[in-house]
Amino acid sequence: MSSQPNRLAEGGAIDRSKTVRFSFDGQALTGHEGDTLASALLANGIKLVGRSFKYHRPRGILTAGSEEPSALVELRSGARREPNTRATTIELYEGLEASSQNRWPSLKFDVMAVSQLFAPFIGAGFYYKTFMWPAAFWEKLYEPMIRRAAGLGRGAGVADPDHYEKAHAFCDVLVIGGGAAGLAAALASARTGARVILCEEDFRLGGRLLAEPDEIDGRPARDWVEAAEAELESLPDCRILRRTTVQGVYDGGTYAAIERVNDHVPLPPAHEPRQRFWKIVAKRAVLAAGAIERPIVFGDNDRPGIMLAGAVRVYVNRYGVAPGKRAVLFADNDDAFRTAVDLAEVGVAVAALIDARKLPSAAAQAAAERAGARYLSGAVIKRVRGRQGVKGVEVRDASGKTESFDCDLVAVSGGWAPSLHLTTHLNGKPQWSEALSALAPGTLPPGMSVAGAAKGAFGLGSCLAQGHDAGAGAAAACGFTGGSGKASAAADNDRGTVSPVWQVENSRGKAFVDFQNDVSVSDVKLAAREGFRIPEHLKRYTTLGMATDQGKTGNLNGAAVLAQATGRYLGAVGTTTFRPPFTPVAISAFAGHHRGQDFRPARLAPSHGWAKEQGAVFVETGPWLRALYYPLTGEEPQDSVNREVANVRTKVGVCDVSTLGKIDVQGSDAGTFLDRVYANTFSVLAVGKARYGLMLREDGIVLDDGTTARLAEDHYFMTTTTANAVKVMQHLEFCQQVLWPEFDVQMVSVTEQWAQYAVAGPRARDVLQAIVDPAHDLSNAAFPYLACGNVSVGGGIPARVYRLSFSGELAYEIGVPARFGDALVRAIMEAGAAYGIAPYGTEALGVLRIEKGHPAGAELNGQTTAHDLGFGKMLSTKKDFIGRYMAARPSLTDPARPSLVGLRPLDREDRLRAGAHLLPKDAEASAANDQGHVTSIAFSPSLGHWLGLGLLAHGPERHGEILRAYDPVRGGDVPVEVRPPCFIDPEGERLRV
Amino acid sequence: MSDRPLHPRSALAGIAVPGRYGAPGSEPGVTIAERVGLGLATVAARKEHGEALKQAVANVYGIDLPEGSRIVQGPRVSFVGYGPGQWLAVSEALDGEALACDLLQNLKGLASISDQSGGRTVLRIGGPRARDVLAKGLPIDLDPRAFPLGSAATSTISLMGVQIWQTDDTRSYDIALFRSVSASFWRWLTASAGEYGYEVVGAGGA
Repeated sequence: MSSQPNRLAEGGAIDRSKTVRFSFDGQALTGHEGDTLASALLANGIKLVGRSFKYHRPRGILTAGSEEPSALVELRSGARREPNTRATTIELYEGLEASSQNRWPSLKFDVMAVSQLFAPFIGAGFYYKTFMWPAAFWEKLYEPMIRRAAGLGRGAGVADPDHYEKAHAFCDVLVIGGGAAGLAAALASARTGARVILCEEDFRLGGRLLAEPDEIDGRPARDWVEAAEAELESLPDCRILRRTTVQGVYDGGTYAAIERVNDHVPLPPAHEPRQRFWKIVAKRAVLAAGAIERPIVFGDNDRPGIMLAGAVRVYVNRYGVAPGKRAVLFADNDDAFRTAVDLAEVGVAVAALIDARKLPSAAAQAAAERAGARYLSGAVIKRVRGRQGVKGVEVRDASGKTESFDCDLVAVSGGWAPSLHLTTHLNGKPQWSEALSALAPGTLPPGMSVAGAAKGAFGLGSCLAQGHDAGAGAAAACGFTGGSGKASAAADNDRGTVSPVWQVENSRGKAFVDFQNDVSVSDVKLAAREGFRIPEHLKRYTTLGMATDQGKTGNLNGAAVLAQATGRYLGAVGTTTFRPPFTPVAISAFAGHHRGQDFRPARLAPSHGWAKEQGAVFVETGPWLRALYYPLTGEEPQDSVNREVANVRTKVGVCDVSTLGKIDVQGSDAGTFLDRVYANTFSVLAVGKARYGLMLREDGIVLDDGTTARLAEDHYFMTTTTANAVKVMQHLEFCQQVLWPEFDVQMVSVTEQWAQYAVAGPRARDVLQAIVDPAHDLSNAAFPYLACGNVSVGGGIPARVYRLSFSGELAYEIGVPARFGDALVRAIMEAGAAYGIAPYGTEALGVLRIEKGHPAGAELNGQTTAHDLGFGKMLSTKKDFIGRYMAARPSLTDPARPSLVGLRPLDREDRLRAGAHLLPKDAEASAANDQGHVTSIAFSPSLGHWLGLGLLAHGPERHGEILRAYDPVRGGDVPVEVRPPCFIDPEGERLRV
Repeated sequence: MSDRPLHPRSALAGIAVPGRYGAPGSEPGVTIAERVGLGLATVAARKEHGEALKQAVANVYGIDLPEGSRIVQGPRVSFVGYGPGQWLAVSEALDGEALACDLLQNLKGLASISDQSGGRTVLRIGGPRARDVLAKGLPIDLDPRAFPLGSAATSTISLMGVQIWQTDDTRSYDIALFRSVSASFWRWLTASAGEYGYEVVGAGGA
């Protein structure tokens, strides 16, 4: 293998002493430190790097930057395989593995390339026209077919093993782009003492200065870049983010940027992320994103070896690579023809300069002379020879005469267009500039200014001057008026006459506008004929500009072809909208740390560690992880739940209820406040007592329920359901701050402060009496049902006991400061051992409450009223409260509303299913006969059969009636008997023993 | 049974184990210490008693209650403002419930006091890279120009609610978070601090 045959002997910003090994499609190759994958492939003489999206046409490397539409490869292998990465932006690293995409069996011989033969049939709107009908074919035939044939690259198919993270940064001035204008802006603003962040997409600062033999302040531009970089590094409040692309502009001076921290190494070092997603908040921003060169559209303009002229200079001057042996230049501007000189200087033969402009240019002519090349003005490329790589071009000159040139490189340029994408993210509209023959930034996002080529100033001197002024101006706007130093100076290159040529008429072969989506001139013209005259419509119809490059090199040409096809002025045709992100962003970068168990924070109850030791199975309840059940070794889930329930009914159980929302409500108006927010009355609750409370929304529907205890005259302790804790707190704060700011009431969440356990069952008192310090008497006389009070445990640790029961058994809740929660549950278990205590989880909790007919989440579903749930009598008529009047609306008090009932299967062996519809016994299963549904079900170990709760029209009047519980989803159809909701101890005697 | 003492347990017990972690190097970029046993309590001024409360705090604790998001450090008790008329009292001297008891006694009728000593995990995050670590989760600017000594803020880190304040030297910050998310927070913190190398100082909880 000849090593890097196209590498120049000298020059460029690569380190020839450091050889980097890599592979492409399994072929072992070498490059140098400082290379991109694209430059290394070119150095090895590889021009064919992929197959196109729709037609599988051979494609090469068009650009040298992030705008690349063609050279997309799969990078890495295994779990780190990443499709559609641009070879032009991949920094070469030791061991890099890349492979071409969209080809089978090989890049050079691709079976699917026959689709080119059908090209006339898969033009614009093909999908819309062909796959319309029959609709049934979509899922089975069309979609799988399209998916197989189309699409570039393959995802890894397994989880990304690397870590990604987010970060926030703040600055006075954000400079976007580290080329001439950006460096000048960063210097001018950072010198004033302003906090500056400079983001550069490349791994090296300098932008086009790395690719042009320019001089600044009388010395080589590269030296100036190094000096600028060193000065910026030395300033304490200036931060340079290399390999960082600013992807989007958002409100309030917020910018999103992706830093590719470790994409340039084989594996991220331990503890380091692969990428970092920055959210940058900047008072001012200077956009110095440079410009993107526009190709000229002609037949077979996508052949490997056809490259933008500016990119050719990058490969020659920055990477020391000759992208070909014999070149032809085809352009409509003098800047591009400079390429001939650069090529000639490194020994690449230049056959001809094809100037598309009608009038000859002296500068271009001079360049041709220096390069020893022919110069043809008013000429165009009519035909390209070579399929997998350019072999020559046929040129039609001004007189119509055809001439042929052999070449393996065609450098093309239709001039430069400002990279203004970020200026449009907040709805700014670009403006057509006749002088530039391109779109220029229009209205800018607040706080942003634009400098240099991004503003249409293509001369180096102008870039430096504009950058300096924009940087100094941005700093001054932030209050930094100190010295911004002297602006650097350079000459402006003469661009010559601008008379843009967009496309070559009557050239042979398919002429591509959008390389990545394979959209050609004929597609645009067809769309225009079919009435798609607006770029936004053209885009949707032809997919022009919808690929991962968002049409960076194609949109303008597309608009020009459209303008011509519809006989309009290009400046009046308009453009499509650029949206974030500027370049493709990995989903992992958006996710950052929030993957797997960290998808969102998990809240762990104080007993979590202990429960884990017991072998508990956990369930997510909102953000909390709660113990679902505590299986003994080898025990089935249902058996565990049955055992836990039975243990509570016959002995005693303990359950962590710390996750319930807990709110301290204090102040001299606390009682009055609670009277307003609860449907029932709390101001008359005695100190040392607790009460069940029901809260309504403004519209009369139930918001939440829970118990509230009065700990002192001016201190209530409210509990909410776990699910509604945050909502209730917000509701209370709204009421206090907006509705009744005159009340003396203060609220604070103490959910986290208290570890709280329910101890329930006939032996609950025995257990708890053993837990509290001896001074406290928990006898029925001293501490009756619904009593509450301060106690101490473990020798003086403050605790609170509430005699509340959700299970229907003798029960207490005991709370201690959360750091004692772990010790307390262990103490309870130890004290309860003599009484046969066992922990119970949320599943058993649910069974216990269903046996008792207590409504919970499935019944408090945001659609039920107090009447529906059997709480109608709790609605106070003696006071005003939120929801009072709306709850009295006739439609909310209609007895035909589905209301709470108990249900049990007529055949006790039958299983009930939540969600089943309740129908009259012999009625047909139709929506018209639907009278309600089963909301909660449980197997009751106490009764030995399934039972359920449901919401049934006229429910309370129908106890004893037989209905159908019809479940079409799971095929259930069970006769059920309507019962009062409470199945166990309806008199509540066990609560009060 | 009741005479058997109950031992407190940090939410980070067994998780925050003292030692040197992450990228190796001479000096760790970040130091992390849990402030265990702190007294913590919320103090909310009673209606129309704001001035009297300020006076009482000045008399009893020797400091002026801060206005806005600031921390004022007293000899025994510090106060972190987190809302209009709302403060988080922090104390080493009055540990655990003792702080809330003391405040209740001294500010009776002037403020509503709720003990929070069990409900928060407080971490002190310091070292030369402390700000870089916090920037990976905290959406506020900690530059001394924006967050000078004595500043406090209520914000979020990686979707978790936090209170943050800066106390003594310019490189370390106290972060109070809800106890229940301590393990999740620790995973975020250590994943974020790893690249700088970090040291967990002191016992993570007894």
